Amino acid sequence: MSATALTPVGRAGGPRFSAAWLPAAAAIAGLLALPLGRPGRAFATIDPDLYALALGGPLVWVVLLGTAATVVVGLLPLPTAQRGDALLATGGVAASSLVVWLATTGTPFGLGALAALAGLTLALGAALSESGRVQGDPFVAASILFVAAFVVLFILYPLFRVLVGAVWANGRLDLTTFAATLRHPLFFVLDNRATPVNEGALALRWAVGGAVVGLAWGLLVRARVPRLAVLTVGLAAAGLVLGVLVYGSGALVTSLAVVLIVAPVCTLLGLAFALLGQRARAAVVRRSMGVISVLPIITPPFILAFAMVFLLGRRGLFTYNVLGLSSSWVYGIPGVAIAQVLAFTPVAYLLLRGAIGSLNPALEEAAQTLGARPGTTLRTITWPLLRPALAASFLLSMIESLADFGNPVVLGGNRRYLATEVYLSLTGRFNPREAAVYGVVLLALVLLAFFLQRWWLGGGSFITVTGKPTAGALAPLPRWLEAALTALLVVWGVFVAALYASIVLGSFTQLWGVNYSLTTQHYRDFMTAGWPVFLYTLRIAAISAVPAMLLGLLVAFLIVRQSFAGRRLIEFGSLLSFATPGTVMGVAYVFAFNTGPWLMTSTAAIIVLALVFRNMPVAIRSAVAGLSQVDPSLEEASTMLRARSWTTLRRILFPLLVNVLVTGLVYAFVRAVTAISQVIFLVSPGNQLATVLLLGWVEQGQLGRAAAMGTVLIVSMLLVILLVLALARRLGSRMVEITP
Amino acid sequence: MTARAPGARDAAPGRGTASVSLRGLVKRFGRDVVAVDDVDLDVGRGELVTLLGPSGCGKTTILRMIAGLERPTEGTIALDDEDVTRLPAYLRDVTMVFQSYALFPHMSVYENVAYGLKVARRPAEETRRRVQEALDMVGLGSLGDRSTNALSGGQQQRVALARALVIEPRVLLFDEPLSNLDAKLRRRVRDDIRELQQRLAITSVYVTHDQEEALAISDRVVVMRDGAIEQQGSPHELYARPATRFVADFIGSANFLTGRYDGSDVEVRGYRFPHAQDAAAGPVTVMVRPEAIEFAAADEPGLTATLRHGAYLGPYTEFRFDLGDQELYATISGGGLTTARPGDEVRLRFKPAGVWLLPPA
Repeated sequence: MSATALTPVGRAGGPRFSAAWLPAAAAIAGLLALPLGRPGRAFATIDPDLYALALGGPLVWVVLLGTAATVVVGLLPLPTAQRGDALLATGGVAASSLVVWLATTGTPFGLGALAALAGLTLALGAALSESGRVQGDPFVAASILFVAAFVVLFILYPLFRVLVGAVWANGRLDLTTFAATLRHPLFFVLDNRATPVNEGALALRWAVGGAVVGLAWGLLVRARVPRLAVLTVGLAAAGLVLGVLVYGSGALVTSLAVVLIVAPVCTLLGLAFALLGQRARAAVVRRSMGVISVLPIITPPFILAFAMVFLLGRRGLFTYNVLGLSSSWVYGIPGVAIAQVLAFTPVAYLLLRGAIGSLNPALEEAAQTLGARPGTTLRTITWPLLRPALAASFLLSMIESLADFGNPVVLGGNRRYLATEVYLSLTGRFNPREAAVYGVVLLALVLLAFFLQRWWLGGGSFITVTGKPTAGALAPLPRWLEAALTALLVVWGVFVAALYASIVLGSFTQLWGVNYSLTTQHYRDFMTAGWPVFLYTLRIAAISAVPAMLLGLLVAFLIVRQSFAGRRLIEFGSLLSFATPGTVMGVAYVFAFNTGPWLMTSTAAIIVLALVFRNMPVAIRSAVAGLSQVDPSLEEASTMLRARSWTTLRRILFPLLVNVLVTGLVYAFVRAVTAISQVIFLVSPGNQLATVLLLGWVEQGQLGRAAAMGTVLIVSMLLVILLVLALARRLGSRMVEITP
Repeated sequence: MTARAPGARDAAPGRGTASVSLRGLVKRFGRDVVAVDDVDLDVGRGELVTLLGPSGCGKTTILRMIAGLERPTEGTIALDDEDVTRLPAYLRDVTMVFQSYALFPHMSVYENVAYGLKVARRPAEETRRRVQEALDMVGLGSLGDRSTNALSGGQQQRVALARALVIEPRVLLFDEPLSNLDAKLRRRVRDDIRELQQRLAITSVYVTHDQEEALAISDRVVVMRDGAIEQQGSPHELYARPATRFVADFIGSANFLTGRYDGSDVEVRGYRFPHAQDAAAGPVTVMVRPEAIEFAAADEPGLTATLRHGAYLGPYTEFRFDLGDQELYATISGGGLTTARPGDEVRLRFKPAGVWLLPPA
């Protein structure tokens, strides 16, 4: 019996029809019954001139005939694999012709084109699977195609357009705007002409100072010449950077200064709280950490900045009424930095909590039994194990700080920030190319930080960082350390509580700082001006949460459990959408979807899409974490019992991951409600969002009304979270041990 | 004598047609790692074939390729003469019992067993009947309502077996199904599996690294090494007539001595004994099983050795003899009666059944 004599048929003789024929038929129905393009922004417009048959032209006919051929081939009684290859050819030609037609004519896609693209993608998925070119059933293959298309269209393409917008004009490379923006005093200036002193010289003194310190230190420890040179030059460079940050001005300097304050402080505070949360003796201290971890999720990022105005501003309750000061110190770098530390420390805490919790105490004990002193243990065992998590939290705080839009708007004072400049150059100076340049700079900074982190960690990963907390006696903290950290926590808690209280109080106060009599006027104003927007926001957030979570699960399933060409692309895309500052993504969406075939700006759809792809990475991460708890042989067992991957997903993974999915859904929802930096670029008169409106009120000085809206937002999100935590706990009790 | 031993086909019982046949099967991971290297294998209808080898020899990869969970880089897989190489796993008439059992933790015993029938949308009445039959068959008829977590390891194993049997696959695959059980239970379940397989005459491919398990359960054992088949044959064939030193060493234990063969007699270190084997005359490696060694009488030809160590183990005594440049390991029943002490010179002889000639090293 030779291999060639075997007939290529399966148990049932192979499927008689290809699974591709039905979606291809739907595609052809869409092409015939619905218009290919649309004249304006409204998706549902039916323009008789924009039907495929009315348009004609060679490309359109290729699309029509290719799609029709896909239906016909799908019904032909051919061997499955050969039929799959043929379908790939016909469907591929039809789909790519349609994309080329859209791109070359620039016609905004109509419902017909949408139906055709969706149908053809499904058909191509079936064809890929049947041809045997992708290992997996039609569902997996089509999912791969859809996810790849989404990643390209909604993550890579917009970023590409921003990049092009920054350096490309009138069909050629044009760096004038790029250079002009970078040379502009708003971006960076060292020697301010308006001041008598030369800031450059001042900064240089810092460099000299650094060099002297380096040299002195080197001589003191009797370093050899190479090391001496490194010390001197290194500290001189550090001095120069510090000097420039102190004396220079412009958006780059300000943003970097803020980042360099916020990232280390957040990481250290996060570490302190994580240590307390995992190793404090007092249960009440450990338990209060739960509150800290929930705060950033329920609070729009700039609400605390706004509260700081109430407490610490020129007429602040504390600074003016208690201390009698009327200072505006809070506006500028200190205020923004404090607000960001308050907002992003909980994020760092969440990251570090996992790392501290999963430190295996046996490792430290082993080191000690081998004769290591506590200090040595810390340096040789604990620190290397914590390093990846510390780096991750540093990086995350950096990204958040650079991307932060709301806090600089509220507390920025007269300084400039990269994130706000993106917005101001687009909407204030109507210079989209300048906005693109700022976006590219922001993205470059984030990516630089990202690669620095990779380089520092050397690509090494430590199992214990990602592992589950190990059971074992955690060494309690030294008493003095615990006392100091607890004191820090108390100060933090009191401050945050005062801030939240001032928001609630402010919403019931006539005019904060001037007239402290109580009123419900602001809530009445909110009901007329804000309530509809609030409800609309909830609706948009709810609509975006479901696809974000499902897409997250699907991507996680594909990345973790399937192997296919292009997996790297999907991983890279989701990583990029996670690392890209929201402001950059926002301006990128404006660039990508304001004209041309993908015209979608000023619609609710674009906001939903932005939120979906903003929150997808979070959903991916929680789904990946959930999946890694499930033994892959469970899914293989299901496959072996003849279930297709869709059935396996539905009957095995969904029930096992229900906990993760519900939590992911709610986080996606709450994050969508509280998002600002991306959606502020995408709102339009009919599609206003609560956070954007709230920020507008703060800027206009409508503080009472803004406080009312803030209170409503915080309370409602808190209720949602508490409800879900309770629900998750109930679902959790039904969960059994997942790994056998 | 080649590594790919002849006579594999005649070991297959049944109607002579192969139920599973692999041709030129190759699996590469990445560019350099060759997990399976050009494997041809036929499994006859109703036969139980075991893939035996150390970890990393490619046996599980072959199993997963038959299942459709991995795709071969080259070669074809056929079930009953139908090429299924490109057929996805869920369309193949094959099912598998996993090492971890892979019982669905959110389903009861009954639901686990019924899963395959539900996926196939069998009528409710039929599903109930067949699940009950399958559970009765593995002796768990009354435990259908239990959660799978409430079962012992052996019971979980049997649920996994029932779940696989209930969909009546043409081929049943076992991926080290006993490795999570303790030694005593392993023997029990092993015999149960074999009995059930014989009763249902179900074609099976069984993967294990435990040679004792392989010998006990199989119609035919395929010894694998570095992704290729080293030798295949009935358990007795492999034990008595190993083709290579690797097989001799992997199945049971063996001593290897250098010697010469002249077509009728073997000579090892001056000890000459008759041996009939279709092997080329000249230098050979002589494999001697430990149980084939016994003390020689004074007037008999024998091998001179120094007794180094003896350990009485009840049914037999374990000896280590020193031959000067190598050691000889022997298990001699009744050996406890010897008067030799460590350091004494003794003379040994080999029983013909435990001697086999291999190509010289």
